[in-house]
Amino acid sequence: MEKLQQIITWMPALLKATQTTLLLSVTSTLTALFLSVFLALGKISKINIINKPCSAYIFFFRGTPLLMQLFFIYYTLPQLIPSLTIKSRFVAAWIAFSLNIAAYLAEIIRAAIQSIDKGQLEAAKALGMTYGQTMRLIVIPQAYRRMIPPICNEFVMVLKDTSLVSIIALSDLTFQTRMIAANKASSLVYIPAMFIYLVITAVFTFIFNKLEKKLSVYE
Amino acid sequence: MAMIVTENLCKSFHSLEVLKDVSLTIDQGEVVCIVGPSGAGKSTYLRALNNLETINSGKIYIDGVLIEDREKGSHTNKVKISRSERLSILLELGMVFQRFNLFPHMTALENIVIAQTTVRKRSKEEATEKALDLLERVGLLDKTNEYPSKLSGGQQQRLAIARALAMDPKVMLFDEPTSALDPELVGEVLAVMKKLAEDGMTMIVVTHEMAFARDVADRVVFMADGVIVEQSPPEEFFNNPKNPRLREFLRRTITREE
Repeated sequence: MEKLQQIITWMPALLKATQTTLLLSVTSTLTALFLSVFLALGKISKINIINKPCSAYIFFFRGTPLLMQLFFIYYTLPQLIPSLTIKSRFVAAWIAFSLNIAAYLAEIIRAAIQSIDKGQLEAAKALGMTYGQTMRLIVIPQAYRRMIPPICNEFVMVLKDTSLVSIIALSDLTFQTRMIAANKASSLVYIPAMFIYLVITAVFTFIFNKLEKKLSVYE
Repeated sequence: MAMIVTENLCKSFHSLEVLKDVSLTIDQGEVVCIVGPSGAGKSTYLRALNNLETINSGKIYIDGVLIEDREKGSHTNKVKISRSERLSILLELGMVFQRFNLFPHMTALENIVIAQTTVRKRSKEEATEKALDLLERVGLLDKTNEYPSKLSGGQQQRLAIARALAMDPKVMLFDEPTSALDPELVGEVLAVMKKLAEDGMTMIVVTHEMAFARDVADRVVFMADGVIVEQSPPEEFFNNPKNPRLREFLRRTITREE
């Protein structure tokens, strides 16, 4: 019982730090979602000056560790170009995460778009639609639904990966947990911390499942 | 009057020659059925007409306008017309696919409306009115708000025909329209096509339905190995075939049918 009481006293601090974790996960994923649509369409494009840079971007951000990218933006960039110094740890983390997640989401979106039956493109072309109209009205609306499960999966990964920011001392859930563990000399704090991560994951999985059902009315 | 003229169409996929100097003229109001063994190049011919496949060489005239003119070896199209001109000529061809290719995320009505508003720039009201008209014509008025997945194969194909007709094509191309259907659903699609033929639509139909070719076609074309082997009015085509390959083909398909 005594241990439970101890854990309860830590909760306010943990929940406050959870806000940072959530805010970082959601804002980075949304920013990445926006970027990734362009990256995906760019990579599909048959024009080399468009698809080559997009492919290179995806290759780079998937090919290097997220933690290194975070260090690069927070420590290396200011040293290279002092005017690019980012004072806010949160902003640095947000940028690093957005750029990284965009590469993964771009691959998810590309795969979903390319999984749409070629017959759809042919039907649209035979009806005289342009490439842009075909993408916007025919392909992407069908690809949405197929993107939801892998995007959900990616979001859950992001949520957990945000614990990396504790290394640049941004006060997220993991950072706060480590602080409490150190200050109170008790490793019990990892129990409620993990539980909080689990609850958030469960809530978002539920939301994504609902969304998937809603988008598959026509199947 | 010639509606479609093709001269010496050639098309290869890598080293495989699918069309070898195919020349064919289709007159306005004519119904031409193209039959032949699979791999003969029938579908490729249709797809070359509406630019789903790019030919390697040859000439294509649609409604008197030259839209493809490629010389052997060079492969570049010598015809210089603007994209919009080209598009408006290609819009004179409506296409019906073997696998329907309906838009699954749209209702029957939306399937017919979408290209009318985006390509033909009609108002929503006008497009809807036309769509309802066409749904009635193909007997699907009660399915207006259904998604394609809720329709039978025959209904889906009739919807696909209505979708193509909504663009007011002058020629309808049918690429094995009944090959993906259960046998009991073939009749309803052929009935719609027959009505269309009777209304004077110019039609090119790639098909394995010999009875349909005999009843509805003005001319039947036999293709094999990328060339037109024989063509004649159905009477003569079925009763007095000259080429031994055609005789063999008919012997096999007709015995199977009966």
